[in-house]
Amino acid sequence: MEKQRGIIEIVTEKVWKFFSSVKLAVILLIILAIVSVVGTVIQQNEAPEKYLQEYSQSTIDIFEILGFFDMYHTWWFVLLLFLLTANLAVCTLERFPHTWKIVTTPIKPIEEDDLKALLFKKEVTLKGGMDKAEARAAQTLAAHRFRFSESRGKGTVQLITQKGVFSRFGVYITHVSILLVFIGALIGAFFGFKGFLNLPEGTARKIVYLRNEPLFNKILSSLGIAESSTQWSPEAGMPFMPLGFNVQCDNFDVEYYVNPAGLPTGMPSEYHSTLSVFDMNGQKILDKRIRVNDPLTYHGITFYQSSYGAIPDVPGKVFLNIRQKNAADKGDVVVIDLGKSTYVPSIDRTIKFLGFASYGMRNPSSGQVVLYRSENDEYINPAVQLEVYKGTKPIYKTEILKIDQGAPSLPENYTISFIHYGGTRYTGLQVTKDPGVWVVYIGFILLCIGPIIAFFGSHKKLWVRIQDRKGQMTVTVAGSANKNRLGFEREFNKIVDEIAK
Amino acid sequence: MKSSLLFNIATLSYLTAMVLYISYLAFRKKGVGLTASVVTYFGFGVQTVALLRRWWESYQMDIGRVPLSNLYESLVFFTWSTVLIYLIVEYHYKTRVFGAFVLPVAFLALAFINVAGISSDITPLVPALKSNWLFYHVLVSFLGYAAFGVAFAVCLIFLLTDMTDRGSLLNLSAALGTLIVLTPLGYALSSMGGSAKTIFWIGLGVLFLAWVVYLAVAGAGNKKQVYLFWSLCVTLSVGLLIAMGVDYLLFRSIASAESFQKHMFESTFLNPSVFVRFTAWAAVVMMFALVWSQGMKLKNKFKQYNLSPDLLEEITYKMIAVGWPLLTGGIITGAVWANSAWGTYWSWDPKETWSLITWFIYAIYLHSRYVRGWKGTQMAVIAALGFLSVIFTYLGVNLVLSGLHSYGGMN
Repeated sequence: MEKQRGIIEIVTEKVWKFFSSVKLAVILLIILAIVSVVGTVIQQNEAPEKYLQEYSQSTIDIFEILGFFDMYHTWWFVLLLFLLTANLAVCTLERFPHTWKIVTTPIKPIEEDDLKALLFKKEVTLKGGMDKAEARAAQTLAAHRFRFSESRGKGTVQLITQKGVFSRFGVYITHVSILLVFIGALIGAFFGFKGFLNLPEGTARKIVYLRNEPLFNKILSSLGIAESSTQWSPEAGMPFMPLGFNVQCDNFDVEYYVNPAGLPTGMPSEYHSTLSVFDMNGQKILDKRIRVNDPLTYHGITFYQSSYGAIPDVPGKVFLNIRQKNAADKGDVVVIDLGKSTYVPSIDRTIKFLGFASYGMRNPSSGQVVLYRSENDEYINPAVQLEVYKGTKPIYKTEILKIDQGAPSLPENYTISFIHYGGTRYTGLQVTKDPGVWVVYIGFILLCIGPIIAFFGSHKKLWVRIQDRKGQMTVTVAGSANKNRLGFEREFNKIVDEIAK
Repeated sequence: MKSSLLFNIATLSYLTAMVLYISYLAFRKKGVGLTASVVTYFGFGVQTVALLRRWWESYQMDIGRVPLSNLYESLVFFTWSTVLIYLIVEYHYKTRVFGAFVLPVAFLALAFINVAGISSDITPLVPALKSNWLFYHVLVSFLGYAAFGVAFAVCLIFLLTDMTDRGSLLNLSAALGTLIVLTPLGYALSSMGGSAKTIFWIGLGVLFLAWVVYLAVAGAGNKKQVYLFWSLCVTLSVGLLIAMGVDYLLFRSIASAESFQKHMFESTFLNPSVFVRFTAWAAVVMMFALVWSQGMKLKNKFKQYNLSPDLLEEITYKMIAVGWPLLTGGIITGAVWANSAWGTYWSWDPKETWSLITWFIYAIYLHSRYVRGWKGTQMAVIAALGFLSVIFTYLGVNLVLSGLHSYGGMN
């Protein structure tokens, strides 16, 4: 028994020593820097067909074994990150007690022997009494913002002071912040997920498809401890899980920048979806218009505007605003399916929705509208064609652009504004849950502060010893700084000059 | 005054300052140095006004956005930050020697923009870029890049003054031999496409890194190799600028970043004509030989200025100590922004990964002083390598590798 423990102890000590060296940190950083390059040269997580275009089958096989197609998630890359983290943690634990001791131990009066070891020391002689010399020294230190304590001996006085002790923690703040980022990333991987949802306009869903399942859930279910909260969807070829609520896309649209003439250019300025959240009983809880950079979060699950697309062969519907001229109210909103008609009581007319075009162009002189299809059928300057009936008798046909907003005058005493054409597209939502993100963010904040303290703070110590040598005051100034020695040298010399003055 | 006119004045000031700083380096006339500083301060002031003015102009145009988002603006801002950091160093360390190296970079970047006619239009932002984080992200990153740029210039001077001799012609021939063998091999394999190309580039990268690791570990003992590395760094930075300049001159009508990406180096190293390609590479090889053979003369020039190795090391360290937290801030703001836009703060796209690689390299530099036996030479090699990585992060990734940062819209 005795011997075995010895071996364990030796091994533990060796492992501890191995992990506590700066050399290991440097070696790991070198390896990480080198291997990270590979994943930027080879495109990650592409479709197999794409790789076949680029590489031969034998190369693909080799890359596959090495995990080069999803390199940053291979066991060996993650292991490297783990080693670096372990190294950081052990280094911190190894060195921190020593630093703590330095910080908490009060600074002592200097002995003759210690003086020899100090890089900065100078001696000056002052006339006048001890009190005068002491006052001068005290004044100088105060002027340089050093708070000092006094120590009196026989025929000697020492002013002892230090500044910037806290800067010794800078390196630990930096290292702990990196540990926090790593821990936060782990929490995210274990308890969070990344998924997506393509929501057609006007529909609701209660599930989300997962690109990354929560690892914790995966482990538990594979061990048979708990039932998996995810299920496999054969048609999507990926797992999905219930959201616990319903999310609905009320509306999706793309806004475009307009040129000086007020016409939309093809350059998108904003993608936005209006999402509504319903509980499982169909009770509406909230809604929000999300944009890129402005997501919706509910119950820790966040929905990001990520993409959109057309749903082929679906007839759309138009949302019109119809308002009596000179009326005080905002008018009525009417929804008409493509090819269908609706009776509008407020104007006693029936409106038929004849057609939609993704780009309508109005001839400025004749007022004629020509309907086009824009590239990829993007709704850049959408227009609708309507026919208005009195009873069953057609009165007139008109084309209305979305940008008109009631501007073109119609033959009768009301305006029709084209609000939205919907139902033909879906909004692509990125759906994520990351309970670790706050830990990561705290790490980020510390990571901003730590290096600044570490690099620009400096632990400075100063001793001013005044000795009475037969009426002549010998003042010895000595000091040390753990960082920025050139800067300290300047300050030190200044202090000595001011005392000697 | 329009911002473009102000930018032109700034460019001219930097040109004048560049000439003055180089003459100061050559002739050591104090008045010349002082004039150089004054002209630089003036140019910097004008450029600051121009940047603010451009910001204001964008509001006039109802677009209202920070002037930091396209290739034109990022180059202008990079120049501005570099000059700012340089002026701080000049003021703090009371030496004007480095101006001869920093100002040419500032001038070339600005001249480049003018000559190339990179579109200076204030264009609206795509939705993904509409975020307050854009401002902080770009600001912090570029200030960091600029600090690293100054560190690069200073550490190259350190490496040069640290050299004892350049070694025999054998060293040069070995280096040139390697280049001459690798180049046709690279072309041949690249034309085969796919696997061969990727493997060649990965192989070349690993070879280069192995060499640099060797220099970092055993550099002090083999200064002739370090001198080759120095020559390579100088050739690379100057050669890249020239090659891109030629590209711009020939494709000046193509202004968008996207097509620029497509045509990168097509006028030189990737020209369809074998003759032009050969000439371009021959020019690089000759430049390398020239730098290698003339470097020692430059060293003697520096000797007159009594730049102590300690001072050069300290400035390099300080600049990296300034740049590294800024780079960290750049990565962090980018991550926070990505999280608000896409729901992931880290997705290992090439730009992110390369900024992390740069971060690793400078982290190695910062820790290397605590590793026994690592001294100035090795640390300077790492510092230089760090900036090569910065250049790649800034230009190479946008131009060569694809990813989220090519701003291709959504998804």
